[in-house]
Amino acid sequence: MKQILAIFGTAFLFCTFTASAFGEDLSERLNALEQQIRSQTKIIEELRAEIERQKKQEPQQVTQEPHHAGEEPSQADQGLKEKVDELNEKVDQVAEAQKKEILSIFNPSIGVVGETIFSYQSKGSNQTGNDRPGGWDVFQRSVELNVAASVDPFAKAYAVINASADAATGEANLTVEEAAIQTTSLPWNLELKAGRFFGEFGRLAYIHDHELPFVNRPLALAQYIGGESRTDGAQLNWLLPVEHYVSLTVGTGIQFGGDNPPNDPGTFRNPSGLNYWGRLSSYFDLTPDISLEPGLSALWNPHTKAQWVDPGGVNPPFPTDLSNNTFTERERRLVGADLMLNWKPLRNNQFQSLTWGTEVLYSDNRFDVTDPAGNITPGQSVGSIGLYSYLTYKFHRQWSAGFLYEWLENMVDKQARTSAYSPYITWALSHWNQLRLQYTHTDNNAATGLRSNDAAYLQWTWIIGAHSHGWQQR
Amino acid sequence: MKSRLFKVLSFCAFAGALCGSPASAHAAKVRIVTTLTDLADFARAVGGEQVDVRSLATGVEDTHGVPMKPSFVPLLNRADMVIVVGLDCEHAFLPALLEASKNPRIQKGKTGYVDCSKGIIPKDVPKSTDHYQGDVHPQGNPHYVLDPVLAKTAIENIYNALVEFAPQHKAEFTRNRNAYLARLDAKIAEWRKEAGVLKGVKFVSYHEHWPYFAERFGMEYFGTIELRPGIDPTPRHIEELSRAMKDGHVRIVVREPEFPEKVPKRIAEQTGATLVTLPIMPGAVPGTETYIKMMDYIVHTMAAAAQGRE
Repeated sequence: MKQILAIFGTAFLFCTFTASAFGEDLSERLNALEQQIRSQTKIIEELRAEIERQKKQEPQQVTQEPHHAGEEPSQADQGLKEKVDELNEKVDQVAEAQKKEILSIFNPSIGVVGETIFSYQSKGSNQTGNDRPGGWDVFQRSVELNVAASVDPFAKAYAVINASADAATGEANLTVEEAAIQTTSLPWNLELKAGRFFGEFGRLAYIHDHELPFVNRPLALAQYIGGESRTDGAQLNWLLPVEHYVSLTVGTGIQFGGDNPPNDPGTFRNPSGLNYWGRLSSYFDLTPDISLEPGLSALWNPHTKAQWVDPGGVNPPFPTDLSNNTFTERERRLVGADLMLNWKPLRNNQFQSLTWGTEVLYSDNRFDVTDPAGNITPGQSVGSIGLYSYLTYKFHRQWSAGFLYEWLENMVDKQARTSAYSPYITWALSHWNQLRLQYTHTDNNAATGLRSNDAAYLQWTWIIGAHSHGWQQR
Repeated sequence: MKSRLFKVLSFCAFAGALCGSPASAHAAKVRIVTTLTDLADFARAVGGEQVDVRSLATGVEDTHGVPMKPSFVPLLNRADMVIVVGLDCEHAFLPALLEASKNPRIQKGKTGYVDCSKGIIPKDVPKSTDHYQGDVHPQGNPHYVLDPVLAKTAIENIYNALVEFAPQHKAEFTRNRNAYLARLDAKIAEWRKEAGVLKGVKFVSYHEHWPYFAERFGMEYFGTIELRPGIDPTPRHIEELSRAMKDGHVRIVVREPEFPEKVPKRIAEQTGATLVTLPIMPGAVPGTETYIKMMDYIVHTMAAAAQGRE
């Protein structure tokens, strides 16, 4: 299995870089071909003008020097014939060039994002609940292939394929993070998306790791949502046809959260086996430079059957008094409110800005607990709160710095609490090359069974090939 | 039962009202959204009373860095046409806004998408689009509107789009266009005369905004303070540029107001060149609310700098 993954990983990287190089090569070839066609078109125009000129002269020549039957063609006639032949040959060349098939002409735009994280953590993973080891670590968190193109006049499609190193084995795991079709011309301001994608919940849950304003996904999103808000499903967005910006999204899918399994795999799935989510967001220009963007989100998973056994100290940590019990989640409800306040002076917006983003989540989990003897305690319910808040100040086109605060009650034991704070500084050499240094101090209370931890991260993110300035990353 | 039926019908009526096509609620005026303020000025001049024009930029922004505000989305959603500079000038903000607008009439390739660069022969088309060249424009330099002669092509494209959209107003659009072009031609003659002192004058600017302007008025565009488009200068680049400017007797440093003054000022001081701040869009500096006023300002300021006047 490992060998197969290794082969796939190697093949993937090879294809990725080959595709990128081929893209550049193709661009150059197209430019060269365009230049060639322009140059030959110019020659044709010149020769056509020459023919016209010759045609005008011909009757005069015929009048002046009439041919007699049987006489050899004159030198002028011969020259004209040669020019016409030459012209015909060049026209044929251009016509042939235009007939050439370029099989890759309809290829989608391709981009690759790489993200490497160098880190030091003061405690081991058994004491911190992290999935990466303590001490010194280098983690190729992602090599992400992005492809996108129009499908037809009615839809576009995109795919994000990610390869990241497994923390335990180091093997590259290839996953399809997103592969979705999205309509582009539905009436009534509607847009439908279907396939595998990041469902719209909150402000940062549907943003890829490398696009976050700090190194790691906030703890509340990692635990309550299950990482990125990945789903296999469908989502409908409606831009309300009013003067003010109001966007409403609803969706359904068989899972929600990249770390969560699908509901009822392999059995019969009723509508209650699906996840349902929605988001309402708006935007206010308080002044030309200051804006406010609030949003409300909700997720309901009426019949999740996620089941896990506490192995002692993994994320999410379990209550110490329930160690070695089996938890079977029955229902998950999650609501969230998010707010983003932006100061972005219009004139200097590429050099200066201040962003304050906050998101508060309330998780209501209902689950059964099975003790090691097999006794089931059904319908346990835990309501817990998690939040994060960050402030980022951009003080130069290349430089920004910020501070992230996080607080979280464990989703299965609200007495187990974690808080963390992280100052960070980002140096973006260009749009495609960015370094970020972050320090994170994490405090876990006694109920978590975990230790406090200090960590330093250096994140290096790069992009090659096509990249778009997407709406979500605004 | 009746009560439930009433509720259902009320909901349907409400939903129907919300879902009603924006076109149905249309005022008689053509709703135009332009990306930049110069295009808004042209659209108002040609469209006259028949158009309602809004610009995404206010004039003070970088032409490539207009913030992607969600408040633009309802504007674009109801627009009959969006007028753009083209040549990828708006690549950093417009594609995502157009997608979010959910307005199929103004998507690229549709008649409501008016690309003013149609008919422009672009300068500086890169031989390769590798990002080693920075945030390069694959289709060539998009700042052709700063050449008032080429601006006439943009005006013509706007006129054609308006005539196609509202042919019943063709006579009015034609009258407006001709009047505006006559004013512009008169101003171009003035600017040519005033810019006589600019012939052969060398200058640098922060971003590569000025190749079309330089060619029109016979100036020599020496280089840019940016290392590459969108990439800030390195100390080494500043040093090399300053040395080359001294050797090449470059007399003017142009700073566009959306870029910080510190580096252009230092280069001007080091090289003895005159630092001028020039708008790239109407409204960027006071007194430049229209395209003609902006070009007046640019030509006057540049000529004054070339003659060593304040």
